[in-house]
Amino acid sequence: MNRRTTLEHLARMTDAEREETTTIETLVAALDTDKRAVEIHLTGLDACELARIDPDGTVRVTITGEEFLELDTEEAIIVDSGPPCSEK
Amino acid sequence: MSKNETSQSGEDVDEVQYDPASSRYDIFECPDCDNVVLALGRDEPPMSCHDEPMERVTDVEMSVKPPDVRQVLLEAFDLPKAGLDICLCVIGEGPVSANEVADSLGYDRSTITRYLNKLVDLGLLRQSELNREGGGVVNVYHSVDLERMRRETLIGFYVWAGEAASLIEDANLTKQNYLEENPDQELPDVFWDSFPDE
Repeated sequence: MNRRTTLEHLARMTDAEREETTTIETLVAALDTDKRAVEIHLTGLDACELARIDPDGTVRVTITGEEFLELDTEEAIIVDSGPPCSEK
Repeated sequence: MSKNETSQSGEDVDEVQYDPASSRYDIFECPDCDNVVLALGRDEPPMSCHDEPMERVTDVEMSVKPPDVRQVLLEAFDLPKAGLDICLCVIGEGPVSANEVADSLGYDRSTITRYLNKLVDLGLLRQSELNREGGGVVNVYHSVDLERMRRETLIGFYVWAGEAASLIEDANLTKQNYLEENPDQELPDVFWDSFPDE
């Protein structure tokens, strides 16, 4: 289970446009792995703006994350998102 | 390649000399003209010249300072160690954020962005843009496959080496032409004047 696999599962369980979320516990159960490992991957995906962790602890894929998966590449990738538009 | 322990200038530098029996590369020349070629991974002459196979050079007397890979990348590709570190960082498990790369390598975030774009210019990374949730775009940098990276860097270096070889040949011809035209004079600044400043 790696960061990409975590994102792929998250994308199947949530929806960016409809802002459908899931809980970390549900995602951990789907991945059948350690909760701490999933949390680390989610934090990394959130930093890449590919996933979003809401204050209430629920998570979902972002529009960026869905487009990322559509790239259909297994190559490693660096995401350089820069500051959010509001900070520019 | 054989090694000498000390250079002629007295510096404590191991110099290397081309040894056809053990080198990982070969140098061939045409016996009828000035054509010289460098070949990697070939036992036989890679090409003919004047309808004859080129001959392996065996009588090289000059020793050279062995290249340092960091200097080669800097000179040939204008790619400092930071750029190579980033390039190697991409050969792993992603996706990772630019901030994570900066933290793990100990570089500023701006340095990461600068060299990511440099690596794209060199053809060692590919860049895509994704829509950012909330507006704007997010840049993503993909690694090219290792075989393509090998080809791009090797051919890129050959281009640089060809430019360098042309400069050396120009220098020799300039010197030769000047001496022919001015047999009674010292070789003056015209030699360096023939090479424009960078």
